[in-house]
Amino acid sequence: MNFASLCLNTFRIMVYVFLLAPIAVVVLASLNAGNFLTFPPQGLSLRWFWTFLDNDIFINAILYSALLAASATSVSLVLGTMAALYYVRHAGRDAEWVRIGVLLPLILPEILTAIALLFFFYEIGVGTEHKIALFTGHVLMTLPFIFLNVNTSLQGRDGSVELAARTLGASRYTAFRRITLPLIAPGVSTGAVFAFIISFDTFGISFILKGTGSAPLPIQLFDYLRFNFTPEAAAVSTVSILLTLFLVVVSDLLFGRRI
Amino acid sequence: MKRFRAYFLIAPTAALLFLFVILPYVTVLVMSFRAPADGQPYGQGFSIGGYTQFFRESYYAISLPQTLALGMATTFFCLLLGYPIALHIATASRKWRGLLYGIVLSPLLVGIVVRSYGWTILLGNSGVINSTLRDLGIITRPLPLMYNNFGVILALTHVFLPFMVLPLLSSLQSMDPAIAQAARSLGAKRLTIFRRITFPVSMPGVQAGCILVFVLAISSYVTPSLVGGMRVKTTTLLVIDALIDQFQWPFGSAMALILAVSAGIVVLVFARLTRMKWN
Repeated sequence: MNFASLCLNTFRIMVYVFLLAPIAVVVLASLNAGNFLTFPPQGLSLRWFWTFLDNDIFINAILYSALLAASATSVSLVLGTMAALYYVRHAGRDAEWVRIGVLLPLILPEILTAIALLFFFYEIGVGTEHKIALFTGHVLMTLPFIFLNVNTSLQGRDGSVELAARTLGASRYTAFRRITLPLIAPGVSTGAVFAFIISFDTFGISFILKGTGSAPLPIQLFDYLRFNFTPEAAAVSTVSILLTLFLVVVSDLLFGRRI
Repeated sequence: MKRFRAYFLIAPTAALLFLFVILPYVTVLVMSFRAPADGQPYGQGFSIGGYTQFFRESYYAISLPQTLALGMATTFFCLLLGYPIALHIATASRKWRGLLYGIVLSPLLVGIVVRSYGWTILLGNSGVINSTLRDLGIITRPLPLMYNNFGVILALTHVFLPFMVLPLLSSLQSMDPAIAQAARSLGAKRLTIFRRITFPVSMPGVQAGCILVFVLAISSYVTPSLVGGMRVKTTTLLVIDALIDQFQWPFGSAMALILAVSAGIVVLVFARLTRMKWN
């Protein structure tokens, strides 16, 4: 190995460390036994996790975020799958327009979309009441991820299998349930996991449209971090990292092999 | 009839996008021309006061070039760090590729608030880096790593690096390895192969990655406010301040649109420059 490739390899390792360092440091900070985020830590303990479990604000925020993510995902799951089926099977010459359209919420800056939704719901007299605006925003943010994942599983499969089933006398519904659905199942489930995580973590939409009352976890965490420097925020962050990791691992075990 | 039935698949999504993306963006445009008012978001009638106010008051006007420069610096560092990584993953063996891919994607699965928070723990005055350097006796007073452009650019580079690597990776993976092998067997050096084959082939990925990172960086809110501690004023921070805290909707909208149009011009110039050079 010559000098140049040694330099290159060192550089690469440093970038991988750079990618993981801020996440690792949050997890380590949550185990700090001291009252403040001091380094080196004053011993290890789980005390901040117990503090977190006693704090209704964060527990409620996690539950609220999970509920919001689950409901937004279930709506975008239906819409996104239908749009992907249309895009692959029926769009024809308009395909590129359909793709750009569905990916718009991903392409446009999230914070601008959030502001636009705020004005729009205010103008039609709803405002941020009843969390309708918040919910709509989350559906928009999660839709592209369902669409992209279902597309991937439909790619390279034309409608001939469904056509064969129909020729053999299957009804439209049966053909969908017995043929199309199993075909797209991996894409749908991966997309759902992606969408759930995106909704769970998204900031801009929730920040602008949260309204009054309960707020999603990223907002509570952000508000807390502006004025507090205890390791409790690190414990909350660690729990949210573990939840995400759990989802990814479970979905990989359930659906990963089949893709 | 068949075609008509197929429209039912796309109709709900089309309606959703029209109602909740297209119409709201039109609302922002209209809002930016409304007249300001005291005590309520906007008043009667129309005016271009929001636009003139932005350029008249240097506090706001100066944030625009600063924000664009911040975005460009972030894009540059993402490309600098991301390219070797994308190349590494594209040429790695199958066994390694999954793991490396996972490392690159992992920041995406952790919320942006948590990632920015991680940087404040690392960069703070009594943070990991400053404490370690002080304990080693290298410094006596903490280095100013946070609450300035340096810290914000560093954290933004981390936050958006995956968005650079992913497009680069897809363009690099579309390259036929036989071309590089052919060049090599004809006596080309590794650097020549990179300069004449690999880099031009990856150009669409470079373009897509740079545009994506630039747009995300200039419109980010969490990272500049947590790592910059309100001492780095980006236009996006001022927009949110005007809209949410000061309740000046026409002015905030005008500012947001000025930023969006300026970013659009930068992106167009960039696309133009890179196309002329490589095609």
